[in-house]
Amino acid sequence: MKKFIIPSIFVFTLFVCMLFFQNCTASKEAIANKSGAQLWGENCLRCHNTPSPTDFNDTQWKTIGLHMQDRANLTKDEADKIVTFLQSAN
Amino acid sequence: MNFNRFILIWLLLGLSKSYAQDSIQSQLDAVKSEITDLKKIEKSHFMIRGFTQFGLDASSEDLSFNMTSFNPIILWRHGDRFLFESELEMEYMSNIFSLNLGYASASYLVTKGLVIKGGKILIPFGTFGEKFHPSWSNKLASAPLGFGHDGMVPMADVGVEVKGGVQVGSAKLSYAAYAVNGPRIKDGTEEPTEAGMLSFENMNDNNRNKAFGARLGILPLQNSSLELGGSVYYALPGSFKSPFAGDPKLKDLNYNNVTALLTALDLCFVKIIQPLSGVLDIKGQYNVSKISNATYFNPSDTARYTFQNNASSYYIQVAFRPSLLDNKVLKNFELVGRYSVYNTPKKSLWESEQSQIQFGLDYWFTWRTVIKVSYQINNGTMGGSGMSSMAGMAGMSANVILFHIATGF
Repeated sequence: MKKFIIPSIFVFTLFVCMLFFQNCTASKEAIANKSGAQLWGENCLRCHNTPSPTDFNDTQWKTIGLHMQDRANLTKDEADKIVTFLQSAN
Repeated sequence: MNFNRFILIWLLLGLSKSYAQDSIQSQLDAVKSEITDLKKIEKSHFMIRGFTQFGLDASSEDLSFNMTSFNPIILWRHGDRFLFESELEMEYMSNIFSLNLGYASASYLVTKGLVIKGGKILIPFGTFGEKFHPSWSNKLASAPLGFGHDGMVPMADVGVEVKGGVQVGSAKLSYAAYAVNGPRIKDGTEEPTEAGMLSFENMNDNNRNKAFGARLGILPLQNSSLELGGSVYYALPGSFKSPFAGDPKLKDLNYNNVTALLTALDLCFVKIIQPLSGVLDIKGQYNVSKISNATYFNPSDTARYTFQNNASSYYIQVAFRPSLLDNKVLKNFELVGRYSVYNTPKKSLWESEQSQIQFGLDYWFTWRTVIKVSYQINNGTMGGSGMSSMAGMAGMSANVILFHIATGF
């Protein structure tokens, strides 16, 4: 088992680096232009189902947005766009 | 006379119409005012969220309602940058009610990609403890082996943390670094069969050292569907004084130089797969614990002994939910499977090799309310004294059918 661990970690690291550098060259505009709805779908789903915008009011979404930015390490731009989308759709 | 009557009726109609218009206008104004109040973002806001779970566990030996838990999370936001949050863990299990503080921390958003926080924090060692432990996020009714009571993974501790998310090109980095009180090594004075095991969640430190740790996660794909992470945690878990200081025969047994190094790799892949009309969710974590050698005392035979204090655990979980189907019932089902393993140190009194397979079928009533039905196959062998129950197994050794309902609120 042990003899597989180091090669596995090496392959894992190489794979991550390849993906990382390949994506660094991709369009930054595509990221900047992502809508709040798109970010809501992509980020919330990683831990739980996407929430219904109507379940909370604007003030509550603001608080939940800050909570999720902290918990899920969202960037500030992502959190702001998601909260704005949820506030506009509730 | 008729003309006067006509004028009177005309005046009355005019007045009533004007009154009706005023009434409608005032009602409209009231509704507008209510909407404006609702849309106004309060600078300071307090709210309670949380999650709860209730279930029935059935095995060949037992049939019991179990795991009744209620975990309110208190959130208080002040302005755009300050947040206080706290989770209370209320649980009734095996005829015992317990109330614990899951975490309680204050966070301040310093810049766009930097949050500092202090208090009792969730430890970002891998992802399960920090992100997937709530019962409505965890797709199965129990935690993987190695997590929870007598597990090898730190879940929460008192200290400070810096963390955040940063966009790098089209990829994203998720980072966290922290200093906490750290674990305490069990020296065998209280539970002889668990000598050498780490005990996390100590509100009071047992020495002047702090435990340090960090996690770096990379989300290399533009759609954030994949996250790969690595974690490290280092601590000196022994007390300065020998726990046997009063015993002349044993006072040389001391654990102040014992070191503990924990590492973990984690994986999370969640993506809508259009051809399959659903969401594929793959999660996993691999944990290794290395504690430097020390000599322990076995009170049952008054012998001293030592062992290589290395432990490891891992889990891999795959779930699929056909949420894009048109069928209103089928789209709410989710299939889940998980395999987890936990190996404790050989030649220790808590030596064991455990594995667990769990198959589950979930039904989602709403985005946060779920019924989970699963079958859990437990396998394990115990070494050592055989006196200790299997560590991290939550007291389950037979195969179990779990029927749980969980909701986030």
